[in-house]
Amino acid sequence: MELFVLNKNEIIKKLCDIIGKEFVSNKSEDLFIYSQDPGVSDPRPVDFVVMPKTVEEIQKIVKLANEEKIPIVPMGGGMTLSGLVIPVKGGIVLDMKRMDEIIEINESSRYALIEAGVTTGKLQAYLEEHHPNLEVSIPDAPPSVTVAGNALIHGSGFLSQKHGDHGSMINGLEVVLPNGEVCKLGSCALSKYWFTRGPIPDFIGLFISSFGTLGIATKLSIKLYPKPKMRYLVFGLCKDPKVLPNLIYNITRTDLAEDILIGIQDKPAWMKGYVVIMVYITGDSEEELDSKTKLLKKIYRKGKARYMKAPDRYYDIFLEKPQFAAKAADFRKGGGFEYVGAFIPLEKIPEIIQIGNDISLKHGIIPTMGARFISKTHSAMFFISYSFNRADPKDIENARHALHETNKEVLNIGGIPWKSELEGQKLILQKMDPNYKMLLKTIRSALDPNGIMNPGNWEVN
Amino acid sequence: MTLETEQDWKSIVHRCFRCGYCKFTHSYSDFNCPSYKKYRFETYSTGGRMWLIFGLINGDIQWSQNLSNVLYACTTCGNCVENCRFEKFNSFIVDFIEAARAEAVKAGFCPEKQKLLLERTMNSEMFNPYGEQNSDNADLKKEYDLPDNAEWVYFIGCTSNYRQKKLRDATLRLLKKAKIDFTLIDEHCCCSPIIRTGQITPVKDFIDYNITQIKKTGASKVITSCAGCYRTIKKDWLKFGAEYEFEVLHTLELVKQLLDDGKIKIKSEYNKTVTYHDPCHIGRHVGLYEEPREVYKQIPGINFVEMKRNRENAWCCGAGGGVKIGYPDWAVEISKERVEEAKETGATVLSSTCPFCRTNLSDANEKHELGLEVIDLIEILDQLEIEINDSNLI
Repeated sequence: MELFVLNKNEIIKKLCDIIGKEFVSNKSEDLFIYSQDPGVSDPRPVDFVVMPKTVEEIQKIVKLANEEKIPIVPMGGGMTLSGLVIPVKGGIVLDMKRMDEIIEINESSRYALIEAGVTTGKLQAYLEEHHPNLEVSIPDAPPSVTVAGNALIHGSGFLSQKHGDHGSMINGLEVVLPNGEVCKLGSCALSKYWFTRGPIPDFIGLFISSFGTLGIATKLSIKLYPKPKMRYLVFGLCKDPKVLPNLIYNITRTDLAEDILIGIQDKPAWMKGYVVIMVYITGDSEEELDSKTKLLKKIYRKGKARYMKAPDRYYDIFLEKPQFAAKAADFRKGGGFEYVGAFIPLEKIPEIIQIGNDISLKHGIIPTMGARFISKTHSAMFFISYSFNRADPKDIENARHALHETNKEVLNIGGIPWKSELEGQKLILQKMDPNYKMLLKTIRSALDPNGIMNPGNWEVN
Repeated sequence: MTLETEQDWKSIVHRCFRCGYCKFTHSYSDFNCPSYKKYRFETYSTGGRMWLIFGLINGDIQWSQNLSNVLYACTTCGNCVENCRFEKFNSFIVDFIEAARAEAVKAGFCPEKQKLLLERTMNSEMFNPYGEQNSDNADLKKEYDLPDNAEWVYFIGCTSNYRQKKLRDATLRLLKKAKIDFTLIDEHCCCSPIIRTGQITPVKDFIDYNITQIKKTGASKVITSCAGCYRTIKKDWLKFGAEYEFEVLHTLELVKQLLDDGKIKIKSEYNKTVTYHDPCHIGRHVGLYEEPREVYKQIPGINFVEMKRNRENAWCCGAGGGVKIGYPDWAVEISKERVEEAKETGATVLSSTCPFCRTNLSDANEKHELGLEVIDLIEILDQLEIEINDSNLI
């Protein structure tokens, strides 16, 4: 593919004509910032950064990109940590955060229709103020990430145990396709209500975990849920990870839990050698919460775990929405961490804990792991986190090796690395059914014949 | 922990993860970083700036005028300090920006407009950033019959002395009315504008000069009605190695003390709906949130209302950090958002405790014909009848 038929000055001029010079840049300091993310990926060059405000502007940019064969990388919050919005082959980073309107909250059908740049923080705060009986599942990522970005990378959040991953909470999408045409998916394709994906052929999945290679999402309808009056947390503790599959299974059988997390860390010292279990419960009254707590204590006991009364500050920390998971970036006082988020079957939990422990210790990193269970126990998103010091290139390299080894092991035990960086994507593709890969390549070629959409990601040769 | 040496900040600035908490209000309902809200490129977020600074330290990016402009397009309002979640890092964010600006100055990339602040301050006819003929305050001393030696020094500050004389005069009248034993000095700029813009070479000389003048009066307390002077004397002078034993108070603190001790009592009514703008320099930078509110609430007849963003969450007026001189239109744009927020409360009066905020809020109010009365707390008090209960007040 021949890139950049025009010279960059002419491209900048055309981009400025489309959206105005205020929100187009090829200044070195802007390119520097957009050439890297907080994970371990090396910086990669960016040629232009643009911040569109309207769908029409995006259409024009896509048409220009097709004419001039310029890669486009759509970006939400830029917090995948795995370099998914750092261009692999240069081109335009399309920062979507100016498209940040909350268009509609449908109280009765319980969905929010929003533009793609709306942050989780903004939607959460808006609902709290204007629709206090509704809530949206948000990830434990900073409030600066976008709702659309997180849903489209198959994210998960505090309601995922009950209602599934965030991709499955999408009711409808508006997408600018790689040819510049606008396509609506879901009920919005034929109705003014963005309330459901079907019952028509469901193509929304094409845009989930495809990392912007098939189009640019501009609007999305996301499911909202009734907000319970009260929320509480019941801690548990177990020593032997082998008890976890049965224990978690039994908890989910009861329908007691809103969210279930586990944490395994060597620091603080009291956590070493234990698995901390966090079951979130909700209710309308203290009595209801008490009764659920009692039941959970019983399940813990029967499952060879025990209830743990934690200090008050732990409740403050872990009941916060979103949780401050980015804290891991400060573990080595170095401003960086990246993790393998592995989607694994429940029964593989003990095995992956051992894997995470071994790889962490091998690389001199304090083991820091955990999981969120999704949609009862249909899957678990198990993360193995590697903190590093951004000021130390050797430390970054060390974390990078740890991540790569972890990706391999996750695939070996039958799991799938989530939102994987380029090297991880290659490993996944190596293992993938050839016909799945061919289907992916065929769809992509048909939609994006010029290969302008985030090229370098999910590259099937 | 303090950032005493260049190495101190260079060795921790990379701890910024660029997570973006710094952009928001506490509830995440809106962006509360004026610079990010305006420019929207990640570059203009606090994280962007921290990463640029780290890039400069590492040699991954070079100084340029554009890069310097990114560092200077920040009001140093401290919203990032308030919302950054990384402890033992967050409290230094404004220091990082000011230190990087000092590096910009050394590298020859201080923006031209901000350079004026130093040129005027250094000018021996001026000693102030406004380019006005220096006032040695001798006429004011005479007019208000002030002694050479006193318990208190009223440090007027350049903004009050050259731009907001109503506030200066109201403060002088209030201090007289309250029978405070005070005097004035031939003051030079406190150096807030040049510290904020990284032009720090002469700062220590200015501090030493001002301290010498204060000591000459025998005063044990310094009072100011300027939030910028207050923050600078209280925090920055110490950072620059100053040694002084006098106490530093904002006028509102003195008024609160007098009211609390029953030494003054406000007799007349102020029958207006008033909202208060927290100046960054006494709010987020120093932590005075309740003290001004407690004074307003003791004014008879007042209907005191809060803006949606208040206290730690306050939206900056847009004047600080050299933005007023460097980006005058944008400064007023920021201020317009604040005045509109004040209007939403139903208030007819927007009050503050900083002449610099007052200037910028007034500019937006007038430019956009928003129809509020913008007035300092001390000016409100000056309009009211105050009963003195003790002739030996403090």
